[in-house]
Amino acid sequence: MTSAGRGRLQPIFDFLITLVVWTYFTAGFVLLFSPFYLWAGIFSKNRERAFQQLNSRFYRGFFFLVRRLMPGHRWHIQPEVRRIRSSVIVCNHRSYLDSILLISLYEKHNTIVKSRLFDIPFFGRMLQWSGYIPSSAEGRFAEMMIQRLERMDAFLADGGNLIVFPEGTRSPNGSLGRFNKGAFKIARRCRAPIEVLFIRNTDRMFRRGVFSFNTRGPNTIRLERIGGIDAAAECATGSLSRVAATVRAMLELKNDGEEEA
Amino acid sequence: MERDAIKAAIIRIFDEKFEIVDPSADDNLRDAYEFDSIDAVELLHEIEILLDTQLSQAEKKNAMEIRTINQIVDYIEALAQDRCLAKSSGSEPCLSTMEQ
Repeated sequence: MTSAGRGRLQPIFDFLITLVVWTYFTAGFVLLFSPFYLWAGIFSKNRERAFQQLNSRFYRGFFFLVRRLMPGHRWHIQPEVRRIRSSVIVCNHRSYLDSILLISLYEKHNTIVKSRLFDIPFFGRMLQWSGYIPSSAEGRFAEMMIQRLERMDAFLADGGNLIVFPEGTRSPNGSLGRFNKGAFKIARRCRAPIEVLFIRNTDRMFRRGVFSFNTRGPNTIRLERIGGIDAAAECATGSLSRVAATVRAMLELKNDGEEEA
Repeated sequence: MERDAIKAAIIRIFDEKFEIVDPSADDNLRDAYEFDSIDAVELLHEIEILLDTQLSQAEKKNAMEIRTINQIVDYIEALAQDRCLAKSSGSEPCLSTMEQ
């Protein structure tokens, strides 16, 4: 087939592969994972921990499938990223894939989720049972937020990672958005280190506002650790704003370097 | 501890813990200083230390609706009063039970 012919058929390939991937998310969940979730929901002594582990494995399965179906996209995940424990992980945010990629790397994780997602039937309940933290404490979320933040010290001390995208939403154009300071406040409160990660090119695979994955490539998705900060020590000698500014400077330096390249 | 003393203690906590210097009593803390629910949880911990008591989940939940320094002072006064009444069974006037 000529390259022009392949080009014309590409949207159809993209659509079909996207359907396969979404089938994993729906039927795959029901057939392969729901029995384990059900078991954990009924019998597990630590349901949140069990759900986090299952979420991580479910998303690992998703990325296994994605790698097989979209070989034009290469993946480079630094080994030290996988070794992070007991930390508040902050990362730039390019695509919906970012959060599930990070969740897939850590079985013991938590994250901050937009409160409105807790209202989605079934999915919202899954988020709640996974122990994830709502982004606001309005109304019914107040108690959930308080309990989860109060348990965060022990969770982090026990090897868990808190995954936060301080921009709060995906970047529309690759530039860094305004930071919420929540992640830094939690790190200071829990005396946990902040690990700064930089992710690139997930938005080339799953583009904003487009239903289908770009299955073709060539593209290299990279996830790397670009630095770490001892938030408690930094806040003792400086301010929380300075910690946030330091993280921002790290990410901007990397982001600007990428744009120049 | 009088109302003024409670207010002074809160102002000190805001300075030391939240890097918010001398906030106005009626400013909406969220709008004016980006004081969010994570800060609120930390403030509740500080209030527990101040009152030398544990707050119930219901008391903490009520606090999440608070928006101004004056409301925080009202909240602490009410907590102190509740605890004082619980200790004295209402037979004596309630004085300070807070750490000063």
